[in-house]
Amino acid sequence: MTRILTEHFDTEPELHEIDVYRRLGGYAGLSKALGMSRAEVVAEVVKSNLRGLGGAGFPTGGKWQTVPGEDKVPGPRYVVANADESEPGCFKDRVLITRAPHQLLEGVLIAAHAIGAKETFIFIRGEYQNQYDVLARAIAQADAAGFTAHASIALMRGAGAYISGLDTALLETMEGKKAWPRQPPPFPTVSGLMGRPTVVNNVETLSMLPSIMVKGGEWFAKIGSPKNGGTVVFSVSGHVEQPGIYEVPMGSKLRDVLTLAGGVRGGRKLKCVIPGGTSMPPLLEKDLDIALDFDAIRAAGTFLGAGGMIVLDETADAVEVAHNIERFLAHESCGQCTPCREGSFWSEEILERMLEGKGEGEDVRNLARIGENITGKVICALGDTVGMVTRAYISKFPEDFNKRVATDGS
Amino acid sequence: MKTKAPVRSPFTPEQEKELLSWTTKYPYKNMGLIEALRCVQAWQRQVSEPAAAYVAELFDLPLNHVWGVATFFPTFTQWKTGKHRVGLCHGLSCSLAGSSRMEACLSKTLGVPEKTATSDGTFSWETMECLGACEQGPALQVNDRLQGRATQALIEELARDLK
Ligand SMILES: Cc1cc2nc3c(=O)[nH]c(=O)nc-3n(C[C@H](O)[C@H](O)[C@H](O)COP(=O)(O)O)c2cc1C
Ligand code: SF4
Ligand code: FES
Repeated sequence: MTRILTEHFDTEPELHEIDVYRRLGGYAGLSKALGMSRAEVVAEVVKSNLRGLGGAGFPTGGKWQTVPGEDKVPGPRYVVANADESEPGCFKDRVLITRAPHQLLEGVLIAAHAIGAKETFIFIRGEYQNQYDVLARAIAQADAAGFTAHASIALMRGAGAYISGLDTALLETMEGKKAWPRQPPPFPTVSGLMGRPTVVNNVETLSMLPSIMVKGGEWFAKIGSPKNGGTVVFSVSGHVEQPGIYEVPMGSKLRDVLTLAGGVRGGRKLKCVIPGGTSMPPLLEKDLDIALDFDAIRAAGTFLGAGGMIVLDETADAVEVAHNIERFLAHESCGQCTPCREGSFWSEEILERMLEGKGEGEDVRNLARIGENITGKVICALGDTVGMVTRAYISKFPEDFNKRVATDGS
Repeated sequence: MKTKAPVRSPFTPEQEKELLSWTTKYPYKNMGLIEALRCVQAWQRQVSEPAAAYVAELFDLPLNHVWGVATFFPTFTQWKTGKHRVGLCHGLSCSLAGSSRMEACLSKTLGVPEKTATSDGTFSWETMECLGACEQGPALQVNDRLQGRATQALIEELARDLK
């Protein structure tokens, strides 16, 4: 199976060193890009069908095209690499940074050229201190080799809030404020960091750019499925034999990824697979042949998200799973919107009561009702998730929920 | 005439210098605030109100802005953490891997409940949300550095070796 980002991971233990990365063709994509006009670079990325791998799947070239030209909006514009990775189940950015920091830096520098940014930032979650050190060292190497002549790269750390990973909340965090998501429009490409045009892209998305520059957008598009170019790196954890990251072409089958990870642990039966991180509704055994790309998976009622695949075997209990996820969301809700703040709190409370054996007759219905009252009434996708998660687990595993509520007729 | 008393510094001269450096590190002053507060948390193992007031003055921000930030982000605490702040993930993957058993092990081995520093100030422990190491669950970190899969042996080793 074609691998792009992780191609050399098994054979090159020193890939994080700039000399090794260059020996394998590293930074050739940047020099090619710098020899092209900005418009040509953007056109190549549009042609590649690269989609944002931070969760939303927005076409990367299309996003860049919405940055206003310097004739319309003169002055600084920025590129921000989103390395906040905090969605439960996702760890691919951590591995990509640890093993191939220069691949990310080269991508950031290509994006900077494409939109005319002279300053770029990598915003990394504070808990990735090891990766922060790897990047600091790699940036020093890139500076010394002269690759940052057209644009500087600065590091910045977060402070433990999941919501900081959402692009507009990330910008607020960078500006030294509480991570309260903004209500777009305007979108960051028009008004981002300190009101300046800003492109926020995920680590994995940016890491794809060097290969797209070297081999061309058409090559990249051909590897994937329609409108979903290239590959995607899944983080696989939970009840599998070999948890880890697995890179597969867009449109691969869920079954293929499960097989790469050695299958369900101990030969047990599969209960469900969360495909993109805990915010995404789970898929069942019968869904194993659906194609994993942003569009095909929507048809199955869930999302590719950031590829954080959690496998649950028959021993898992849907109420425990839903409780764990709602507890997370209640903790991470920024609190701006009442339906999200209160809805996540009460969902956690009700699920907790059910776990303690104190479930009441109306609990399952109330959980679903809370969910219905959030979607569409809040600023960001975290709130939508609060309702989506409980409703998905209730509808797929009603028996787990019903056995937790009193059935004595009282 | 009374003048406003200057905020008394709760920091050493070297620490003041480092905090000041964060006001000029990025294109806009306020962009250094989170990093400055991270320094405060690392040095004092909490962000207290006097410390926040000093930082507020340094960044020309109202105290309520800085206090709002200091109380929003989980990295900043209003209780004093241990010198080695141990974080145990209780996210879904880690929970499937037995993270709650390791909570019990931490409180027994370190001898303190969650979010309470040991009497000598060496350790504190707390549960945390997904640490981005779900393939090594239950993930354990110390001061933002991943240690790997939490086991009784690893926890006992850390308690012995980190002093
Ligand atoms: C609650 C929430 C958390 C998010 N966390 C992250 C994150 O940690 N990393 C990331 O790259 N994108 C995250 N995103 C998506 C970003 O908002 C944004 O779409 C992405 O960084 C854009 O980059 P891309 O187009 O390359 O995917 C999150 C979105 C939401 C709604
Ligand atoms: S939906 Fe939730 S997390 Fe998002 S802005 Fe509203 S309160 Fe904050
Ligand atoms: S769920 Fe524990 S590290 Fe991700």
